Amino acid sequence: MYKYIFKRIYQLVIVFFLFLVTSYILFDSIPGNAFQNMLLNPLLPPGAYEQVLALYGLDKPLSERIVLYITNFFKGDFGYSYKYYPKTPIELIAERLPRTLMLFAMVNIVSFYTGFLVGKILAWRRGSKSETWITITSVFSYTVFYPWFALMMLWFFGYKMDWLPIGKFLYPEKWYDAPFDSDVIFTLMIKFTVIVSIIQFLIYMFTRNIESLNSKRNLRFFGFILNIVGSFIFWNTGDALTKKIYAMDIAYHMILPVITVTIVAFAGTALLTRTTMMEVLKDDYILTARAKGLSQRRIRDRHAARNALLPVVTSFIFTIVTIIDGSVLTETIFSWPGMGQLILDSVLNEDIPVAMATFSFIGVFALVAHFIADISYAYLDPRIRIQSQG
Amino acid sequence: MSNILEVKNLTMHYETLDGDVDAVKDITFNVKAGESFGIVGESGCGKTSVAMCLLQLQAENGKISNGSILFDGQELVGMSENDLRKVRWDGISIVFQGAMNAWNPVVKVGEQIREAMREHNPKSTKSQNTEKINELFNMVGLDSSASERFPHELSGGMKQRAIIALALSCDPKLIIADEPTTALDVVIQDQILTEIKNVQELLGLSLIYISHDIAVIAEMTDKIAVMYAGSIVEIGPTEEVFKSPKHSYTRSLLDSTPSIMGEKKKLRSLEGEPPSLINKIDGCSFSPRCPSPSNECKNQSIEMGLIKVGIDHYADKCCSGCISE
Ligand SMILES: Nc1ncnc2c1ncn2[C@@H]1O[C@H](COP(=O)(O)OP(=O)(O)OP(=O)(O)O)[C@@H](O)[C@H]1O
Ligand SMILES: [Mg+2]
Repeated sequence: MYKYIFKRIYQLVIVFFLFLVTSYILFDSIPGNAFQNMLLNPLLPPGAYEQVLALYGLDKPLSERIVLYITNFFKGDFGYSYKYYPKTPIELIAERLPRTLMLFAMVNIVSFYTGFLVGKILAWRRGSKSETWITITSVFSYTVFYPWFALMMLWFFGYKMDWLPIGKFLYPEKWYDAPFDSDVIFTLMIKFTVIVSIIQFLIYMFTRNIESLNSKRNLRFFGFILNIVGSFIFWNTGDALTKKIYAMDIAYHMILPVITVTIVAFAGTALLTRTTMMEVLKDDYILTARAKGLSQRRIRDRHAARNALLPVVTSFIFTIVTIIDGSVLTETIFSWPGMGQLILDSVLNEDIPVAMATFSFIGVFALVAHFIADISYAYLDPRIRIQSQG
Repeated sequence: MSNILEVKNLTMHYETLDGDVDAVKDITFNVKAGESFGIVGESGCGKTSVAMCLLQLQAENGKISNGSILFDGQELVGMSENDLRKVRWDGISIVFQGAMNAWNPVVKVGEQIREAMREHNPKSTKSQNTEKINELFNMVGLDSSASERFPHELSGGMKQRAIIALALSCDPKLIIADEPTTALDVVIQDQILTEIKNVQELLGLSLIYISHDIAVIAEMTDKIAVMYAGSIVEIGPTEEVFKSPKHSYTRSLLDSTPSIMGEKKKLRSLEGEPPSLINKIDGCSFSPRCPSPSNECKNQSIEMGLIKVGIDHYADKCCSGCISE
């Protein structure tokens, strides 16, 4: 197993290096540069433009710049943003990333769970009326032109019904005299979500080996309630209490984008789960499970869904990879100032250091996600575990 | 001895796009407590279909149109799914044909056995269950460590043995073994047969053993039913049927099998193909392949039906006359 992991890491490093070089060449090949609009200024003294280029090192030949960039990259120096000059790309990413992660982590978790749940029920109730309708709806939301759908949602819930805010991630008027930055709140919310998920996961893991089905279910339910009560106490005491109203404001702004993206993303998972489940249901061990006299639910969840999970998890991890680049569209439509907007902004302005930094971030993210996919696949499917031991 | 299973006039067909497939036609037989009963017949004659009906696990397009299955006094045809769950494995368990794929690939073997035990004896503790599994594994000739392995980590023979342990795990009254040894080499096949036989005698279980190999059936069973094209054409005590087969299909089956004990004789194979069950067969279904059909046999209006030909020994009325002694 270690040998396998080591080999994978070695491959990842090479892929990442190629990724960096290619990205840099691509950005460089966009016509013009970040400072070209200076030339439009008639008051510009002669030689000033060249001076600025020299200042940022843009006068050097491409090959020299690539080598310089990559050496600096591995030293941890990503340069400065051309547009927001004194800020470094890292500072910009640190500011934007939590906003995107908060939004899309939420969406992905919700859509994965609901998608998987709905998908397995669809396969199980094959041929019923509700199955037909839900499948048709899912196919619709899976194939709908996403920007149009998002705008429709905005128009309906934000404008027509006026239930939810249109765009932005907070009401600025509420934050005039806020004692802290929105980033502080975002970070707190992310920490909270992560901890709650981990606790829930631990509860699940610890109750795994309980023999009696009843006490297992009761314990899990008890753990779930405990988690909810704990969260309630957390937000109503001490430091978090003062931050609560601001967190609520952000959460309120998150509702519409989360619902919209979930509707679109969930359908994919549901349809995929439905198809794989239907394949699995034909397998012989399902018949064995039925012959053993197990309950319908147990056959569905333990035997069928557990085996249908494999391809669904893979596709889920690939979706996670597209979180950040996928966020460009969503964040533009919902004016959510996150990573997506930063990417778009930096590319349009040819702000190469920021664009490169965001792209490398996506690259690292994607590679790590694939790496995790490989390993979790080995966990889910014991048959892979053996092969990967070599 | 009392009957543990009474099957009466069981008739089942599969609905397909090309028409109905009459897989089980008017089948009647009884199995006594502690008895081992064999069903033999060519591939496609409906043996598995009968087995599936007994557990009420026939495919979705399989429809029972007539008949009754009394197990331990309970009628299984038309029983609710919830009540059936209690009968399955606790009353009747089955070793499926192709048991290789009967294991869920992502759950450990022991856990899959424990799961059935939990369902039917919710009170027993984990250590009791584990102890019992180890006992069963020893009984079928497996190391108890095998229960902590995943199915793909076991060889075919080991999987098959483990399946037998699984079938025994809830102390059923009746075990159905549907060709439990296909896909295994002859040595292992023999070991497993002996294992099944021993366990059955040791625990006093009833056994329904299904095979296309009449030699195996001879070794394993007290009573035998010969199936042809969905119907039973001969049924009786195994010894009796082997000594004096009355139906010419049974005779052909015996002639096409080498006998280990008896004197050497030329093997004769049965000519022709088994009939397709999708077309309605009029008259005696075996007459097209019968080596010595009488004129009556070819008469399409003749009805099939068993008549008594010996003590507890019945054969189809048409073909029972075809054998020229
Ligand atoms: N689900 C199904 N739908 C339609 N026809 C079926 C179905 N299952 C079985 N059949 C048909 O029913 C007949 C009996 O099949 P069955 O599996 O009971 O035979 P078998 O005696 O067990 O044969 P084998 O020795 O090959 O296992 C065959 O002609 C088969 O093609
Ligand atoms: Mg069969």
